[in-house]
Amino acid sequence: MARDHGLAPVPWLLVAAPMAVLLLFFALPNALLLSASFLKSEAQQLTNELTLENYSFLFTRPLYIRAFIRTFIVGISVGLIDVALGYPLAYFLVRTKSRWKGLLIALSLAPLLASVVVRTYGWYIILNRFGVANDLLLSLGFIDDRIAFMPSTGAIIVGLAHALLPYTVLTIMGSLQGINPNLELAAMSLGASRTRTFFSVVLPLSLPGIAGGFILAFSIAISAYATPAILGGPATQVMATAIYGFMTQLLDWSIGAALAVVLVFCAVLLTYAAARMGARQAAL
Amino acid sequence: MKAKHSTSRRRWLKRTGALALSAPYIITARSQETLIVNTQGGEYQELVERVVIRPFEKKFGVKVIHDPTGTASQDYAKIRAARGAPGFDVAGLLTPPEVILGVKEGLLEKLTEREVPNLRHLWDKTWQVIPAGSGAPHTLQYAALVYHKEKLERPRSWADYWEPQKKYGEKVKGHLINYNPANLLSVYALIHAAQLGKGGVDNMEPAWQRLKAQKPYVGVVVTGSAEAVPHFENGQVWISPYWSARSGYYIDRGLPFEMVIPDEGVIGLFDVACIPVGSKNKKLAYEFLNWRLDPAVQREWALAYFSSPTRPGVELPAKFAANQIVSKEQIAKTQFPDSDVIGARRKDWTLKWQEIMG
Repeated sequence: MARDHGLAPVPWLLVAAPMAVLLLFFALPNALLLSASFLKSEAQQLTNELTLENYSFLFTRPLYIRAFIRTFIVGISVGLIDVALGYPLAYFLVRTKSRWKGLLIALSLAPLLASVVVRTYGWYIILNRFGVANDLLLSLGFIDDRIAFMPSTGAIIVGLAHALLPYTVLTIMGSLQGINPNLELAAMSLGASRTRTFFSVVLPLSLPGIAGGFILAFSIAISAYATPAILGGPATQVMATAIYGFMTQLLDWSIGAALAVVLVFCAVLLTYAAARMGARQAAL
Repeated sequence: MKAKHSTSRRRWLKRTGALALSAPYIITARSQETLIVNTQGGEYQELVERVVIRPFEKKFGVKVIHDPTGTASQDYAKIRAARGAPGFDVAGLLTPPEVILGVKEGLLEKLTEREVPNLRHLWDKTWQVIPAGSGAPHTLQYAALVYHKEKLERPRSWADYWEPQKKYGEKVKGHLINYNPANLLSVYALIHAAQLGKGGVDNMEPAWQRLKAQKPYVGVVVTGSAEAVPHFENGQVWISPYWSARSGYYIDRGLPFEMVIPDEGVIGLFDVACIPVGSKNKKLAYEFLNWRLDPAVQREWALAYFSSPTRPGVELPAKFAANQIVSKEQIAKTQFPDSDVIGARRKDWTLKWQEIMG
C-alpha cells in the first residue's frame, strides 16, 4: 500500500545524498553569488547596501555587452562545428565493422587524455604571429606578411571546438547506438535510397544525441576560461575571463558576481530551450 | 606461556592506545614546526627556495612548505574568500594595493617590532607606501624600460615607448607589448604616459590618448609579466616596460635586451610578505618575516633576484648597485604613487584600457 502512495522511503533515501551534495555545493554557492551581485561595492570592498548598480554597470558598458555577445557566438559556433564534425565521425565509429573499431574509438577520444591547457598551447604554437601556420603560408607564398590569427574570437572557437569535439562524438555515438539497424533495413526494403534512409530515419532518430552534443559543447564553451584566456588574451574578453578579472585581479566581487549570475541565467535558459527543441524533434 | 602472551598483548594494547591518544598532540607539535609560505612560480620559485627558504629551514630546524601558486591579487582573493585562513601562513608576495585592502578588511595580522624586530631598520618611506606594521616589505624594484639592443637604439624617455614612431619610425610596428592594468606594471606605465602629458593618477586622460596612438604599433598584449618573456625571447617584442628585478635576471641569462632608467624617472614597487589573520603558525611566520629582512638574507636575495634591499646599509657590489635603489637620494627620487588611489581607480582604468585595446 505504501508503495501505491509513492511514499516509500528507499527512493527518497537514495536521492537524499546526491541532493544534499547538490544543495551544498551548487545551490548554496549560487545563492551566495546571487546575493553578492545585489550588494554595493566601494573601493573594492563589499558593503551591506543593496543595489542594482552592478547590473546597470554591465548592461550600459559596450565592452561587457560585446563580451556577452562574443561568449554566445563562441558557444553557438563551437556547438555547431562540433556537431558538424562529430556526427560523421560518430556515425562511422558506430557503424564500422572494422576489427580496429575499439582502437579507432580510443583514438578519437584520445584528446581527452591531455589537459585542455596543453591542447590550447598546441594551438598557440600554430596560430601565433611567429607560429607554424604563418611559417607555412609564408613559405608557400600565400601571404607576404605575417597574419595575427590570435588573439581573436576565431582562435578561441578553433581551440574550444577541438577541445570539446570528443564530448560531442561520445554523446552522438550513444544516440546512434540506440537506433535499431532493422529500421534502416526496413526503410531500404521499402525502396528508400541510402541517402533518404539516412535523412528520413537515422537523422531524426539521432536528434536527441545531436541536441545533447550541442548542449554539452555549448555549455562548456560559454563557461570555459583557459582557452579564451590563452587564445583570446586580455583584450578579447568573454564572460568567463571577465568574471575572473573582476574576482581575482580587480577584487571587485559584486560586479564579478553579477556577471556570473547573468552567465548562469542565460546558460540555463538557452540549455533548457535547446533541450526542449531536441526533445520535441525526437518526439516527432 | 599463555600468561606471558597475554601480558605482552596487554602491554602492546596499552602502548598502542597511549600512542593513539597522544597522536593529536604529536601531530600538532609537528605541525607547529611546519610553515606554509605562498609566493609565486617560475624562476622566482627556484630563487626563493634556494636563497631564503632552505637557509631558514636549516637555521630554525623547521619545515617550510612552499606554495608557488598565484599572483599577488589572486593570493589576496584566496585570503578574502577564506576570511583570512587561506591555508598558508605567510602571503609572501603581495603588492601595496592588496596590503592596503587587507588592512581595511582586517584580514592581515598587525605586526610590531616586538614580533618582527627588523621592521625598525626599513626605509622610512616604506610606511608612506603601506600602512605601518601591515607587512614586511622584503624586495624593492621598479618599472623600467627594456629594449632589444640588436633591433633598436637605446630609448631615453617613456615617450620612446608611448610614441615609438617618433623615435623608431614604422619598423617598430608590431613589436611593442602592452599589459592589462590587472598587472601593476601596466598601471605604472600608464601613469608615466599620463605624466608625459602633464597628468597623473588624478588625470589619466593623457595616458588614454597615448594608448590610442600607440595601439597600431602593439603586437602583443598580455596580463602577467612572465607571459611577456617568450615574446622577448622569440624577437617579437623589441621594447617594453618591465620590472627591474626580472629584467636583470633575464638579461643576465643572455636575453639580448638592455634595461634603461628613463629620464623622467621610475615608479618603485615594494614586494611585501604578510601574515593572514587565520595563520596557524604565527610565531614561526613572524620569524620568517624577520628572516626575510635580515641584512645578510637581504643581500643574498638582492644579488640573486637583481632587486634592491628594503633597508639601508646593505653592502652591494658597485656595478650591481648602479641599477638599484640603495641610497637615501635614490629612494627620495623614486616615485611611489598612492596605492589606495590606484586600488580605488583600477577598475575604471582597466575598463578604459579594455575599451581602447579590445
